[in-house]
Amino acid sequence: MLIGISLISFLIMHLAPGDVTSNEAAFNPKTSEESRQKLREMYNLDKPIIVQYGLWLKRMATMDFGKSFASHQKPVFWQTTDKDGNVTKGLIQEALPITLMINLLGLAITLILAIPLGIIAARRYLGWQDRSITLFNFLGFSIPGFWLSLLLMYWLGVVNNWFPISGLHSLNYESLDTWSKIKDSLSHLFLPVIIPSITGLAGITLFVKNGMLDVLHQDYITTARAKGLNERKVIYTHALRNALLPLITIIGLSIPGLIGGSVIAETIFAIPGMGKLFYDAVLMRDFPVVMGILTIGSALTLIGNLLADVMYAWADPRVRRGVAKG
Amino acid sequence: MTNLTSSFIKLASITFVSILLLACESSTDAPSSNLDYSKNYPVESGGTLVSAMTAEPSGLISMIAGESASSEITANIFNSLLKYDKNLELEGDLVKSWEISADQKTINFKLRPNLKWADNKPITSADVLFTWQAVTDEKTASPYASDFQLVKKAETPDALTFSVTYDQAYAPALDSWAGLQILPKHLLEGQDLHTTAFARKPVGSHYYKLDSWTHSEHLKLSRNANSVLGQARIDQLITRIIPDNSAQFLELMADNIDLMGLDPIKYSRIIPARPELLQKLALYKELGNSYTYMGFNLKHKPFDDVRVRRAINYAIDKQEIIDGVYLGLGINIASPYKPGTRWSNPALTPYPYNPAKARALLKESGFEDNNGDGILERDGKPFAFEIVTNQNKEREKSAVLIQRRLKEVGIDVKIRAIEWASFISRFIKTGDFDVVVLGWGLGLDPDQYNIWHSSQQAPGQFNFIGYNNPTVDKLLEQGRLELNSDKRMKIYHEFARVLLEDSPIIYLSAGYGLTAIHKRVKGIDNPAPPAGIGHNSQDWYIPQPLRRNEISQ
Repeated sequence: MLIGISLISFLIMHLAPGDVTSNEAAFNPKTSEESRQKLREMYNLDKPIIVQYGLWLKRMATMDFGKSFASHQKPVFWQTTDKDGNVTKGLIQEALPITLMINLLGLAITLILAIPLGIIAARRYLGWQDRSITLFNFLGFSIPGFWLSLLLMYWLGVVNNWFPISGLHSLNYESLDTWSKIKDSLSHLFLPVIIPSITGLAGITLFVKNGMLDVLHQDYITTARAKGLNERKVIYTHALRNALLPLITIIGLSIPGLIGGSVIAETIFAIPGMGKLFYDAVLMRDFPVVMGILTIGSALTLIGNLLADVMYAWADPRVRRGVAKG
Repeated sequence: MTNLTSSFIKLASITFVSILLLACESSTDAPSSNLDYSKNYPVESGGTLVSAMTAEPSGLISMIAGESASSEITANIFNSLLKYDKNLELEGDLVKSWEISADQKTINFKLRPNLKWADNKPITSADVLFTWQAVTDEKTASPYASDFQLVKKAETPDALTFSVTYDQAYAPALDSWAGLQILPKHLLEGQDLHTTAFARKPVGSHYYKLDSWTHSEHLKLSRNANSVLGQARIDQLITRIIPDNSAQFLELMADNIDLMGLDPIKYSRIIPARPELLQKLALYKELGNSYTYMGFNLKHKPFDDVRVRRAINYAIDKQEIIDGVYLGLGINIASPYKPGTRWSNPALTPYPYNPAKARALLKESGFEDNNGDGILERDGKPFAFEIVTNQNKEREKSAVLIQRRLKEVGIDVKIRAIEWASFISRFIKTGDFDVVVLGWGLGLDPDQYNIWHSSQQAPGQFNFIGYNNPTVDKLLEQGRLELNSDKRMKIYHEFARVLLEDSPIIYLSAGYGLTAIHKRVKGIDNPAPPAGIGHNSQDWYIPQPLRRNEISQ
């Protein structure tokens, strides 16, 4: 599977016109074609594609993701140490934790908000609560994220100076004490985390609401109510668990997004995450980085899907029994 | 049950408010807004200047990195042998003096005595020799190597003398030595320049040294005590990496950065419309060494016909492009040199907008509208072509204005905008285009052999429009051999005249570089001298009362 993915992405990347020597800096009349040829030889870009793929596979066999063409040959995946003890961090090593943290926080906030909202909407179906939640969700869903980001950056950062506008840390971060460091990080993370949560809220709320509505019309809920259970128990013990099952699938499907990050959000907020890394690498035709991200991304996605399946089995006894029967 | 749902909402809102409060507390204080930035303050050293750029440098050895993000930073860290003064004349940087031999083939550089690297090791001619060897080395893929490969012999007769000999006189040589940043031999000998850790922790000789580099966030530079040209006034330079232009502008408005490059809309519409911004920001404009042009593929018919090229030149209203696309922040040019410098020929005037003349010229070259569809034909084929450009808003807009003006004289134009790398490999390298809208960013030396000489047409070389004019070839060759500035100037004036007459490209506009700098920064020359506002950045200063108070170290 991974070999298939890597072969396809390798071919697509190399079918795109241009290579690392055709960037805008190279379009300077002071530069010479010989030097670009030299670079191509240095990176084996003058060899046939299939040979290049072979070289890449050979390195991959030893888990060596190679070095970036475009950023002073930084390692693509994990740090290396040279003979003088200088540690060079890997590009993915630096970007992945940032993206993961932001997206997991965002997902957590989405879920924390979406589940109660969905429950309220289902309980007060067609009431004013439901209508206003639907309206709010529609707004959140339709507003372009980058536009909302810029507006909030302007209002919270420029007009009111409540939140930092971009970046991950303040300039004096190093000299802060631990508590201030945490506050500093949180305030920098606030906007980039909250905006995708608002725009992502709509889908999940709708899912919870519909799941809830389905379940509330099941016979066993009527039974539960008939036997005089209080409403709280009906909703939270009997209905909610069943209504949340489809959510596992949704979360499973969102895993590639959690790893991939978003180019637009990361660019606007100046966050050095995976989305920006990948986008820049494609524009620079930085093949090792593109390949590294695709390979690691697909591996993590496969693992994520596996985890989602396992969680499904854990949450739903019916699935478990199906597995046991084989 | 409403109890429970409402308690959920309560919980959520409490969490939110607390996050909000938490964050508000940590926001930094800007100096109060009642400071008078326009007052005069005495010159004093200290303070921090925060600027931003859109891309992170790949490394800080500029001969390897090659991109502008890198050279912006290294220009504060490394010296070259020579530099340009405010009027764009060469003067010594690391060298005290230089002399050119009688046969114009040898240049002797005399280093200033007692120079030191930031790590206290002496700077000698051995470092210069090492740098030259590094840039010309087989294993180094420096984009700028070609100028230095012309050096036949480089010697260091003593620790302060460096001499180079060329096969024949090479006039752009001095400019090339003003562009090569000298690297320390003692730290780089035996290392691979493409992978060395030095590129992330450089040791240089200029006003500043690198303190820290936080990946994708910021680079901090502080004053170098050993600076070979004396001390700069501002203590610390911080460059933040903010890829998005709008975010940068918000940071500028919020007073978190002091300096940023602007586009015409921000410069002439957004900032002037806001008194609170005008109160704290000063706007500067300077002519860059670059221009936008529309270039013909001279190997394709009918662009091989000079009458057709001139006709199109007359048919395009350049002032309209300057006013519409650049909001008036550009000038119309007639030669490929920065106006106001010695190399630009003051006797030349741009082609005026004259559609009648354009129609007459087109008719003369055989184009007529025979079927009444509004499009001219020759030999039964309509005059139609495609303008290809990269995804650059200004260029796309210019192409649209051109499209309309050419339609008026009966030429059918289509526009295609394409991503840069694809653009270069699919259209430029293969020569498979009719017309391009592009720009040239040029060096300060007038030599443009690589762009116009007929020998420079191979794939990947820069005469991709296929210009071939023996007169121009000869002038370009002469210009390279002539080291006397006045004689050289005449050669390039003549070259620009022939070029304008021949019209292989149409100059659209030379845009201004636009910058906003916070008024707390004093000592900036306005209006900008030919070398631009940055030429004396070491003398800029930030008076104590105007400094930010959040950064204390």
